Amino acid sequence: MTEDNFEEFLKKAAQSYNAPPARTPRDDMWSAIQAQRAAGPRVIYGGGSLAPAPARRFGSRIWVGTAAAAILLLATGVGLGRWSTRSNASSATAVLGPAKAGAGLNAGAGTPDAGLNEGAGTPGALGPGGSGAVASTHTAGGEGGKASPPREPVRIGGTRRPRALDGTDGTVAVTAPSPNSTSNATGNSAYQLTAVRHLSEAEALLTSFRTRTTADQQMDAQMGSWARQLLSNTRLLLDSPVANDPQRRPLLEDLELVLVQIVQLSPGSTPQDREMIEKTLRQDHVMTRLRTAIPAGAQRGS
Amino acid sequence: MQMVAYESRSSVNDIQLITRVVAGDAAAERELYEMYVDRIYRLAFRLAGDDELARDFTQATFIRAFEKIGSFRGESSLSTWLHSIGVSVALNGLRKTKRQRNREAPMEEGLTVGSTRIEAEPDLKERMARAIESLADKYRTVFVMHDVEGYTHEEISGTLNIPIGTSKSHLFQARSKLRVALADFAPEWVS
Repeated sequence: MTEDNFEEFLKKAAQSYNAPPARTPRDDMWSAIQAQRAAGPRVIYGGGSLAPAPARRFGSRIWVGTAAAAILLLATGVGLGRWSTRSNASSATAVLGPAKAGAGLNAGAGTPDAGLNEGAGTPGALGPGGSGAVASTHTAGGEGGKASPPREPVRIGGTRRPRALDGTDGTVAVTAPSPNSTSNATGNSAYQLTAVRHLSEAEALLTSFRTRTTADQQMDAQMGSWARQLLSNTRLLLDSPVANDPQRRPLLEDLELVLVQIVQLSPGSTPQDREMIEKTLRQDHVMTRLRTAIPAGAQRGS
Repeated sequence: MQMVAYESRSSVNDIQLITRVVAGDAAAERELYEMYVDRIYRLAFRLAGDDELARDFTQATFIRAFEKIGSFRGESSLSTWLHSIGVSVALNGLRKTKRQRNREAPMEEGLTVGSTRIEAEPDLKERMARAIESLADKYRTVFVMHDVEGYTHEEISGTLNIPIGTSKSHLFQARSKLRVALADFAPEWVS
Protein backbone atom coordinates (compact mmCIF):
# COMPACT_ATOMS: atom_id res chain seq x y z
CA MET A 1 0.00 0.00 0.00
CA THR A 2 2.78 2.36 1.00
CA GLU A 3 4.57 1.44 -2.18
CA ASP A 4 1.52 2.35 -4.26
CA ASN A 5 1.18 5.58 -2.38
CA PHE A 6 4.78 6.39 -3.02
CA GLU A 7 4.41 5.74 -6.76
CA GLU A 8 1.36 7.95 -6.87
CA PHE A 9 3.13 10.65 -4.95
CA LEU A 10 6.21 10.36 -7.15
CA LYS A 11 4.31 10.52 -10.43
CA LYS A 12 2.33 13.50 -9.25
CA ALA A 13 5.28 15.40 -7.86
CA ALA A 14 7.51 14.60 -10.83
CA GLN A 15 5.14 16.33 -13.22
CA SER A 16 6.80 19.59 -12.28
CA TYR A 17 10.20 18.25 -13.32
CA ASN A 18 11.40 20.11 -16.43
CA ALA A 19 7.82 20.87 -17.33
CA PRO A 20 7.66 21.79 -21.02
CA PRO A 21 5.72 24.83 -22.19
CA ALA A 22 2.09 24.24 -23.05
CA ARG A 23 2.64 25.17 -26.66
CA THR A 24 5.27 23.52 -28.83
CA PRO A 25 7.10 26.04 -31.03
CA ARG A 26 6.22 24.00 -34.10
CA ASP A 27 6.53 26.67 -36.76
CA ASP A 28 9.81 28.05 -35.46
CA MET A 29 11.38 24.63 -35.39
CA TRP A 30 10.02 23.71 -38.81
CA SER A 31 11.49 26.88 -40.29
CA ALA A 32 14.84 26.09 -38.71
CA ILE A 33 14.72 22.53 -40.03
CA GLN A 34 13.91 23.74 -43.52
CA ALA A 35 16.69 26.32 -43.40
CA GLN A 36 19.24 23.74 -42.38
CA ARG A 37 18.12 21.21 -44.94
CA ALA A 38 18.15 23.84 -47.65
CA ALA A 39 21.84 24.29 -46.96
CA GLY A 40 22.31 20.73 -48.18
CA PRO A 41 22.13 17.17 -46.97
CA ARG A 42 24.24 16.42 -43.93
CA VAL A 43 24.62 12.73 -44.02
CA ILE A 44 27.40 12.54 -41.49
CA TYR A 45 25.30 12.20 -38.46
CA GLY A 46 25.55 9.51 -35.90
CA GLY A 47 23.27 8.03 -33.33
CA GLY A 48 25.65 6.80 -30.73
CA SER A 49 24.83 4.26 -28.12
CA LEU A 50 22.91 4.82 -24.96
CA ALA A 51 25.74 3.46 -22.88
CA PRO A 52 27.06 6.24 -20.69
CA ALA A 53 30.26 7.80 -21.84
CA PRO A 54 33.16 7.49 -19.47
CA ALA A 55 33.10 10.40 -17.11
CA ARG A 56 35.94 12.81 -17.68
CA ARG A 57 36.83 15.95 -15.94
CA PHE A 58 38.82 18.59 -17.67
CA GLY A 59 40.53 21.37 -15.89
CA SER A 60 41.24 24.65 -17.58
CA ARG A 61 44.82 23.51 -18.23
CA ILE A 62 43.57 20.69 -20.36
CA TRP A 63 42.26 23.27 -22.79
CA VAL A 64 45.76 24.23 -23.70
CA GLY A 65 46.76 20.61 -24.24
CA THR A 66 43.65 19.91 -26.29
CA ALA A 67 44.22 22.96 -28.41
CA ALA A 68 47.86 21.98 -28.98
CA ALA A 69 46.80 18.49 -30.01
CA ALA A 70 44.21 19.93 -32.37
CA ILE A 71 46.79 22.21 -33.99
CA LEU A 72 49.20 19.30 -34.38
CA LEU A 73 46.49 17.18 -35.96
CA LEU A 74 45.47 19.99 -38.25
CA ALA A 75 49.04 20.55 -39.34
CA THR A 76 49.42 16.82 -40.04
CA GLY A 77 46.24 16.88 -42.08
CA VAL A 78 47.29 19.89 -44.09
CA GLY A 79 50.75 18.37 -44.64
CA LEU A 80 49.34 15.07 -45.82
CA GLY A 81 46.93 16.85 -48.11
CA ARG A 82 49.62 18.96 -49.70
CA TRP A 83 51.91 16.00 -50.05
CA SER A 84 49.25 13.95 -51.78
CA THR A 85 48.29 16.85 -54.06
CA ARG A 86 51.92 17.34 -55.07
CA SER A 87 52.53 13.68 -55.74
CA ASN A 88 49.38 13.54 -57.86
CA ALA A 89 50.47 16.50 -59.90
CA SER A 90 53.92 15.12 -60.52
CA SER A 91 52.63 11.75 -61.68
CA ALA A 92 49.88 13.16 -63.82
CA THR A 93 51.92 13.40 -66.99
CA ALA A 94 55.18 11.76 -67.73
CA VAL A 95 57.03 11.65 -70.98
CA LEU A 96 59.08 8.61 -71.77
CA GLY A 97 62.08 8.45 -74.00
CA PRO A 98 61.96 7.87 -77.75
CA ALA A 99 60.10 4.81 -78.80
CA LYS A 100 59.22 3.38 -82.08
CA ALA A 101 56.12 4.88 -83.55
CA GLY A 102 53.54 2.22 -83.76
CA ALA A 103 55.35 -0.11 -81.44
CA GLY A 104 52.87 -2.10 -79.52
CA LEU A 105 50.05 -0.79 -81.60
CA ASN A 106 48.00 -2.70 -84.01
CA ALA A 107 48.27 -1.60 -87.55
CA GLY A 108 46.41 -2.30 -90.74
CA ALA A 109 45.54 -5.89 -91.46
CA GLY A 110 47.49 -7.47 -88.68
CA THR A 111 45.85 -8.56 -85.50
CA PRO A 112 43.81 -5.58 -84.66
CA ASP A 113 42.60 -6.88 -81.34
CA ALA A 114 45.84 -8.22 -80.02
CA GLY A 115 47.07 -5.00 -78.46
CA LEU A 116 43.73 -4.18 -76.96
CA ASN A 117 43.08 -7.58 -75.49
CA GLU A 118 46.46 -7.65 -73.95
CA GLY A 119 45.60 -5.05 -71.38
CA ALA A 120 41.97 -5.80 -71.02
CA GLY A 121 42.36 -9.22 -69.53
CA THR A 122 42.60 -9.19 -65.79
CA PRO A 123 42.46 -5.74 -64.33
CA GLY A 124 42.80 -7.01 -60.82
CA ALA A 125 46.13 -8.59 -61.61
CA LEU A 126 47.88 -5.44 -62.61
CA GLY A 127 49.93 -5.19 -59.49
CA PRO A 128 49.85 -2.75 -56.64
CA GLY A 129 48.23 0.53 -57.47
CA GLY A 130 47.03 -0.73 -60.81
CA SER A 131 43.85 0.85 -61.92
CA GLY A 132 42.95 -1.86 -64.30
CA ALA A 133 42.16 0.63 -67.00
CA VAL A 134 44.54 0.06 -69.85
CA ALA A 135 43.56 1.97 -72.93
CA SER A 136 46.00 1.42 -75.73
CA THR A 137 45.68 3.79 -78.61
CA HIS A 138 44.66 1.93 -81.71
CA THR A 139 45.76 3.52 -84.94
CA ALA A 140 46.70 2.53 -88.42
CA GLY A 141 50.46 2.94 -88.55
CA GLY A 142 52.55 4.22 -91.37
CA GLU A 143 54.23 0.93 -92.12
CA GLY A 144 52.15 -0.06 -95.09
CA GLY A 145 49.83 -2.38 -93.36
CA LYS A 146 52.48 -4.40 -91.56
CA ALA A 147 51.37 -5.60 -88.26
CA SER A 148 53.63 -4.71 -85.39
CA PRO A 149 54.12 -7.38 -82.80
CA PRO A 150 52.06 -6.77 -79.69
CA ARG A 151 54.03 -5.37 -76.79
CA GLU A 152 53.52 -5.05 -73.12
CA PRO A 153 51.89 -1.79 -72.21
CA VAL A 154 54.23 0.73 -70.63
CA ARG A 155 54.59 0.28 -66.94
CA ILE A 156 55.29 3.10 -64.59
CA GLY A 157 55.96 2.24 -61.01
CA GLY A 158 54.46 -1.16 -61.50
CA THR A 159 51.28 0.25 -62.99
CA ARG A 160 50.19 -0.07 -66.55
CA ARG A 161 49.44 3.26 -68.06
CA PRO A 162 47.53 4.05 -71.20
CA ARG A 163 49.56 5.44 -74.03
CA ALA A 164 49.04 8.18 -76.52
CA LEU A 165 51.16 8.33 -79.62
CA ASP A 166 52.92 11.45 -80.60
CA GLY A 167 53.60 10.71 -84.24
CA THR A 168 56.08 13.51 -84.86
CA ASP A 169 59.21 12.58 -83.00
CA GLY A 170 58.49 9.11 -81.95
CA THR A 171 58.05 9.89 -78.29
CA VAL A 172 55.28 8.24 -76.47
CA ALA A 173 53.40 10.52 -74.12
CA VAL A 174 52.04 8.63 -71.18
CA THR A 175 49.06 10.05 -69.44
CA ALA A 176 47.99 8.84 -66.04
CA PRO A 177 44.22 8.81 -65.75
CA SER A 178 44.12 7.38 -62.28
CA PRO A 179 45.65 9.53 -59.58
CA ASN A 180 47.39 7.99 -56.67
CA SER A 181 44.19 6.89 -55.05
CA THR A 182 45.73 5.53 -51.88
CA SER A 183 47.45 8.72 -50.85
CA ASN A 184 44.43 10.70 -51.93
CA ALA A 185 42.20 8.66 -49.67
CA THR A 186 44.66 9.06 -46.80
CA GLY A 187 44.76 12.80 -47.33
CA ASN A 188 40.99 13.06 -47.50
CA SER A 189 40.52 10.94 -44.40
CA ALA A 190 43.01 13.06 -42.52
CA TYR A 191 41.22 16.21 -43.59
CA GLN A 192 37.85 14.81 -42.63
CA LEU A 193 39.13 13.68 -39.25
CA THR A 194 40.73 17.03 -38.64
CA ALA A 195 37.61 18.88 -39.66
CA VAL A 196 35.40 16.80 -37.39
CA ARG A 197 37.76 17.27 -34.44
CA HIS A 198 37.86 20.95 -35.10
CA LEU A 199 34.09 21.28 -35.30
CA SER A 200 33.77 19.29 -32.05
CA GLU A 201 36.16 21.69 -30.38
CA ALA A 202 34.22 24.64 -31.72
CA GLU A 203 30.98 23.18 -30.46
CA ALA A 204 32.57 22.67 -27.06
CA LEU A 205 33.63 26.30 -26.94
CA LEU A 206 30.27 27.61 -28.06
CA THR A 207 28.44 25.39 -25.59
CA SER A 208 30.68 26.71 -22.82
CA PHE A 209 29.97 30.19 -23.98
CA ARG A 210 26.24 29.67 -23.97
CA THR A 211 25.98 27.76 -20.71
CA ARG A 212 27.89 30.23 -18.59
CA THR A 213 25.62 32.26 -16.44
CA THR A 214 27.62 35.21 -15.19
CA ALA A 215 30.31 37.34 -16.69
CA ASP A 216 33.68 37.03 -15.11
CA GLN A 217 36.93 38.34 -16.43
CA GLN A 218 38.97 35.20 -15.92
CA MET A 219 36.44 33.19 -17.89
CA ASP A 220 36.30 35.77 -20.68
CA ALA A 221 40.07 35.73 -20.99
CA GLN A 222 40.23 31.95 -21.20
CA MET A 223 37.42 31.82 -23.71
CA GLY A 224 39.14 34.47 -25.78
CA SER A 225 42.37 32.50 -25.82
CA TRP A 226 40.58 29.30 -26.75
CA ALA A 227 38.57 31.06 -29.45
CA ARG A 228 41.75 32.58 -30.90
CA GLN A 229 43.28 29.14 -31.37
CA LEU A 230 40.12 27.83 -32.94
CA LEU A 231 39.95 30.86 -35.20
CA SER A 232 43.41 30.12 -36.62
CA ASN A 233 42.42 26.53 -37.25
CA THR A 234 39.17 27.61 -38.86
CA ARG A 235 41.04 29.83 -41.27
CA LEU A 236 43.49 27.05 -42.07
CA LEU A 237 40.58 24.75 -42.81
CA LEU A 238 38.96 27.39 -44.99
CA ASP A 239 42.09 27.34 -47.12
CA SER A 240 42.19 23.56 -47.24
CA PRO A 241 40.27 21.09 -49.43
CA VAL A 242 37.79 20.64 -46.56
CA ALA A 243 36.30 23.97 -47.57
CA ASN A 244 35.51 22.60 -51.03
CA ASP A 245 32.55 20.87 -49.46
CA PRO A 246 29.58 23.09 -50.31
CA GLN A 247 27.95 22.44 -46.93
CA ARG A 248 31.02 22.78 -44.81
CA ARG A 249 32.31 26.01 -46.24
CA PRO A 250 29.36 28.19 -45.13
CA LEU A 251 29.50 26.55 -41.71
CA LEU A 252 33.20 27.34 -41.37
CA GLU A 253 32.58 30.90 -42.51
CA ASP A 254 29.79 31.40 -39.98
CA LEU A 255 31.98 29.81 -37.33
CA GLU A 256 34.79 32.18 -38.20
CA LEU A 257 32.46 35.14 -37.69
CA VAL A 258 31.31 33.93 -34.28
CA LEU A 259 34.86 33.17 -33.17
CA VAL A 260 36.00 36.63 -34.20
CA GLN A 261 33.21 38.07 -32.05
CA ILE A 262 34.25 35.96 -29.07
CA VAL A 263 37.91 36.88 -29.52
CA GLN A 264 36.95 40.54 -29.56
CA LEU A 265 34.86 40.17 -26.43
CA SER A 266 36.79 42.18 -23.91
CA PRO A 267 37.16 40.92 -20.36
CA GLY A 268 34.22 42.07 -18.27
CA SER A 269 32.07 42.58 -21.33
CA THR A 270 28.48 43.68 -20.97
CA PRO A 271 25.53 41.34 -21.36
CA GLN A 272 24.65 43.23 -24.55
CA ASP A 273 27.95 42.16 -26.14
CA ARG A 274 27.26 38.57 -25.39
CA GLU A 275 23.69 38.90 -26.53
CA MET A 276 24.96 39.96 -29.96
CA ILE A 277 26.96 36.77 -30.23
CA GLU A 278 23.99 34.76 -29.04
CA LYS A 279 21.93 36.43 -31.72
CA THR A 280 24.40 35.45 -34.43
CA LEU A 281 24.38 31.90 -33.13
CA ARG A 282 20.61 31.77 -33.19
CA GLN A 283 20.09 33.45 -36.52
CA ASP A 284 22.54 31.23 -38.38
CA HIS A 285 21.62 28.11 -36.41
CA VAL A 286 25.30 27.58 -35.90
CA MET A 287 24.93 25.17 -32.99
CA THR A 288 22.46 22.92 -34.74
CA ARG A 289 24.52 22.93 -37.91
CA LEU A 290 27.62 22.10 -35.93
CA ARG A 291 25.87 19.24 -34.20
CA THR A 292 24.57 17.86 -37.44
CA ALA A 293 28.03 18.08 -38.98
CA ILE A 294 29.64 16.14 -36.15
CA PRO A 295 29.09 12.41 -36.02
CA ALA A 296 27.90 11.43 -32.56
CA GLY A 297 30.70 10.05 -30.47
CA ALA A 298 33.36 11.90 -32.44
CA GLN A 299 34.59 13.60 -29.30
CA ARG A 300 35.03 10.45 -27.36
CA GLY A 301 38.37 9.79 -28.82
CA SER A 302 39.62 13.32 -28.33
CA MET B 1 0.29 12.80 -18.28
CA GLN B 2 0.36 11.53 -21.80
CA MET B 3 -0.62 7.98 -22.49
CA VAL B 4 0.19 6.79 -25.94
CA ALA B 5 -0.78 3.58 -27.68
CA TYR B 6 2.15 2.17 -29.57
CA GLU B 7 2.26 -0.51 -32.17
CA SER B 8 5.21 -2.79 -32.28
CA ARG B 9 5.47 -2.62 -36.06
CA SER B 10 4.79 0.01 -38.64
CA SER B 11 1.16 0.48 -39.49
CA VAL B 12 -0.12 0.77 -43.04
CA ASN B 13 -0.48 4.51 -42.57
CA ASP B 14 3.10 4.76 -41.39
CA ILE B 15 4.33 2.87 -44.42
CA GLN B 16 2.32 5.05 -46.80
CA LEU B 17 3.62 8.15 -45.13
CA ILE B 18 7.20 6.92 -45.25
CA THR B 19 6.85 6.00 -48.91
CA ARG B 20 5.69 9.53 -49.70
CA VAL B 21 8.51 11.08 -47.68
CA VAL B 22 11.09 8.91 -49.40
CA ALA B 23 9.62 9.96 -52.75
CA GLY B 24 10.31 13.57 -51.81
CA ASP B 25 6.77 14.67 -51.00
CA ALA B 26 7.19 17.87 -48.97
CA ALA B 27 3.63 17.72 -47.66
CA ALA B 28 4.29 14.24 -46.30
CA GLU B 29 7.37 15.50 -44.49
CA ARG B 30 5.34 18.21 -42.85
CA GLU B 31 2.64 15.69 -41.97
CA LEU B 32 5.15 13.41 -40.33
CA TYR B 33 6.62 16.36 -38.46
CA GLU B 34 3.23 17.54 -37.22
CA MET B 35 2.34 14.04 -36.07
CA TYR B 36 5.32 13.58 -33.83
CA VAL B 37 6.85 16.95 -33.04
CA ASP B 38 4.90 17.51 -29.83
CA ARG B 39 5.98 14.27 -28.24
CA ILE B 40 9.58 14.56 -29.39
CA TYR B 41 9.82 18.12 -28.15
CA ARG B 42 8.17 17.31 -24.82
CA LEU B 43 10.54 14.43 -24.22
CA ALA B 44 13.55 16.51 -25.27
CA PHE B 45 12.45 19.27 -22.93
CA ARG B 46 11.95 16.87 -20.04
CA LEU B 47 15.43 15.49 -20.54
CA ALA B 48 17.15 18.81 -21.21
CA GLY B 49 15.20 21.20 -19.01
CA ASP B 50 16.01 24.02 -21.39
CA ASP B 51 13.96 25.36 -24.25
CA GLU B 52 16.86 26.14 -26.52
CA LEU B 53 18.45 22.73 -26.09
CA ALA B 54 15.08 21.04 -26.53
CA ARG B 55 14.57 22.90 -29.80
CA ASP B 56 18.05 21.98 -31.00
CA PHE B 57 17.51 18.34 -30.18
CA THR B 58 14.08 18.23 -31.79
CA GLN B 59 15.33 19.86 -34.98
CA ALA B 60 18.33 17.55 -35.13
CA THR B 61 16.03 14.57 -34.62
CA PHE B 62 13.84 15.43 -37.59
CA ILE B 63 16.75 16.39 -39.82
CA ARG B 64 18.34 13.08 -39.12
CA ALA B 65 15.06 11.23 -39.52
CA PHE B 66 14.45 12.76 -42.94
CA GLU B 67 17.96 11.87 -44.01
CA LYS B 68 17.75 8.31 -42.79
CA ILE B 69 14.15 7.49 -43.49
CA GLY B 70 15.11 5.62 -46.65
CA SER B 71 16.89 3.08 -44.49
CA PHE B 72 13.93 2.61 -42.13
CA ARG B 73 13.00 -1.06 -42.44
CA GLY B 74 9.71 -1.00 -40.56
CA GLU B 75 10.83 -3.45 -37.90
CA SER B 76 9.46 -1.12 -35.27
CA SER B 77 6.77 1.51 -35.46
CA LEU B 78 7.67 4.85 -36.97
CA SER B 79 7.02 6.45 -33.60
CA THR B 80 9.47 4.13 -31.84
CA TRP B 81 12.08 4.74 -34.52
CA LEU B 82 11.69 8.51 -34.24
CA HIS B 83 11.78 8.41 -30.46
CA SER B 84 14.93 6.33 -30.46
CA ILE B 85 16.59 8.95 -32.66
CA GLY B 86 15.26 11.70 -30.41
CA VAL B 87 16.48 10.12 -27.18
CA SER B 88 19.84 9.31 -28.72
CA VAL B 89 20.29 12.86 -29.99
CA ALA B 90 19.21 14.34 -26.65
CA LEU B 91 21.43 12.12 -24.50
CA ASN B 92 24.46 12.67 -26.71
CA GLY B 93 23.85 16.40 -26.70
CA LEU B 94 23.41 16.46 -22.94
CA ARG B 95 26.64 14.55 -22.43
CA LYS B 96 28.50 17.16 -24.40
CA THR B 97 26.87 19.93 -22.41
CA LYS B 98 27.64 18.17 -19.15
CA ARG B 99 31.24 17.75 -20.21
CA GLN B 100 31.46 21.48 -20.72
CA ARG B 101 29.96 22.17 -17.32
CA ASN B 102 32.51 19.82 -15.80
CA ARG B 103 35.26 21.77 -17.49
CA GLU B 104 33.97 24.95 -15.96
CA ALA B 105 33.42 23.42 -12.54
CA PRO B 106 37.00 23.69 -11.24
CA MET B 107 37.06 27.44 -11.82
CA GLU B 108 33.65 27.94 -10.28
CA GLU B 109 34.62 25.85 -7.29
CA GLY B 110 37.73 27.97 -6.92
CA LEU B 111 35.64 31.10 -6.70
CA THR B 112 33.45 29.75 -3.91
CA VAL B 113 36.28 28.53 -1.72
CA GLY B 114 36.03 30.11 1.69
CA SER B 115 32.45 31.12 1.41
CA THR B 116 29.86 29.41 3.53
CA ARG B 117 26.82 28.24 1.69
CA ILE B 118 23.69 28.72 3.62
CA GLU B 119 20.77 27.01 2.02
CA ALA B 120 17.17 27.34 2.91
CA GLU B 121 15.24 24.12 3.15
CA PRO B 122 14.24 23.48 -0.42
CA ASP B 123 10.67 22.72 -1.21
CA LEU B 124 9.51 19.45 -2.68
CA LYS B 125 9.70 20.63 -6.28
CA GLU B 126 13.29 21.70 -5.93
CA ARG B 127 14.33 18.59 -4.05
CA MET B 128 12.57 16.40 -6.56
CA ALA B 129 14.33 18.09 -9.46
CA ARG B 130 17.70 17.75 -7.81
CA ALA B 131 17.09 14.11 -6.97
CA ILE B 132 16.08 13.27 -10.54
CA GLU B 133 19.09 15.13 -11.92
CA SER B 134 21.37 13.09 -9.71
CA LEU B 135 20.16 9.81 -11.21
CA ALA B 136 22.34 8.05 -13.75
CA ASP B 137 21.29 8.73 -17.34
CA LYS B 138 19.84 5.27 -17.88
CA TYR B 139 17.67 5.49 -14.75
CA ARG B 140 16.66 9.08 -15.35
CA THR B 141 15.64 8.41 -18.94
CA VAL B 142 13.46 5.47 -18.03
CA PHE B 143 11.96 7.32 -15.06
CA VAL B 144 11.16 10.41 -17.12
CA MET B 145 9.68 8.36 -19.93
CA HIS B 146 7.58 6.13 -17.68
CA ASP B 147 6.57 8.10 -14.63
CA VAL B 148 6.61 11.60 -16.07
CA GLU B 149 5.63 11.20 -19.72
CA GLY B 150 3.61 8.03 -19.39
CA TYR B 151 5.39 5.74 -21.85
CA THR B 152 4.89 2.03 -21.35
CA HIS B 153 7.74 -0.38 -20.73
CA GLU B 154 7.20 -1.78 -24.23
CA GLU B 155 7.64 1.64 -25.74
CA ILE B 156 10.69 2.37 -23.61
CA SER B 157 12.14 -0.99 -24.52
CA GLY B 158 11.73 -0.27 -28.24
CA THR B 159 13.00 3.27 -28.00
CA LEU B 160 16.07 2.57 -25.89
CA ASN B 161 16.68 -0.82 -27.45
CA ILE B 162 16.76 -2.60 -24.10
CA PRO B 163 14.76 -5.59 -22.86
CA ILE B 164 11.49 -4.85 -21.09
CA GLY B 165 12.88 -6.41 -17.92
CA THR B 166 15.79 -3.99 -17.99
CA SER B 167 13.40 -1.09 -18.38
CA LYS B 168 11.46 -2.27 -15.32
CA SER B 169 14.64 -2.79 -13.38
CA HIS B 170 15.89 0.71 -14.24
CA LEU B 171 12.58 2.18 -13.12
CA PHE B 172 12.75 0.27 -9.85
CA GLN B 173 16.29 1.51 -9.24
CA ALA B 174 15.29 5.06 -10.03
CA ARG B 175 12.33 4.98 -7.69
CA SER B 176 14.42 3.45 -4.91
CA LYS B 177 17.00 6.20 -5.18
CA LEU B 178 14.30 8.84 -5.24
CA ARG B 179 12.63 7.34 -2.19
CA VAL B 180 15.85 7.73 -0.25
CA ALA B 181 16.45 11.23 -1.59
CA LEU B 182 12.92 12.32 -0.70
CA ALA B 183 12.74 10.57 2.67
CA ASP B 184 12.03 13.89 4.35
CA PHE B 185 8.69 13.99 2.60
CA ALA B 186 7.69 10.46 3.66
CA PRO B 187 4.68 11.66 5.67
CA GLU B 188 3.14 12.87 2.46
CA TRP B 189 2.92 9.42 0.95
CA VAL B 190 2.66 7.37 4.12
CA SER B 191 -0.49 9.20 5.05
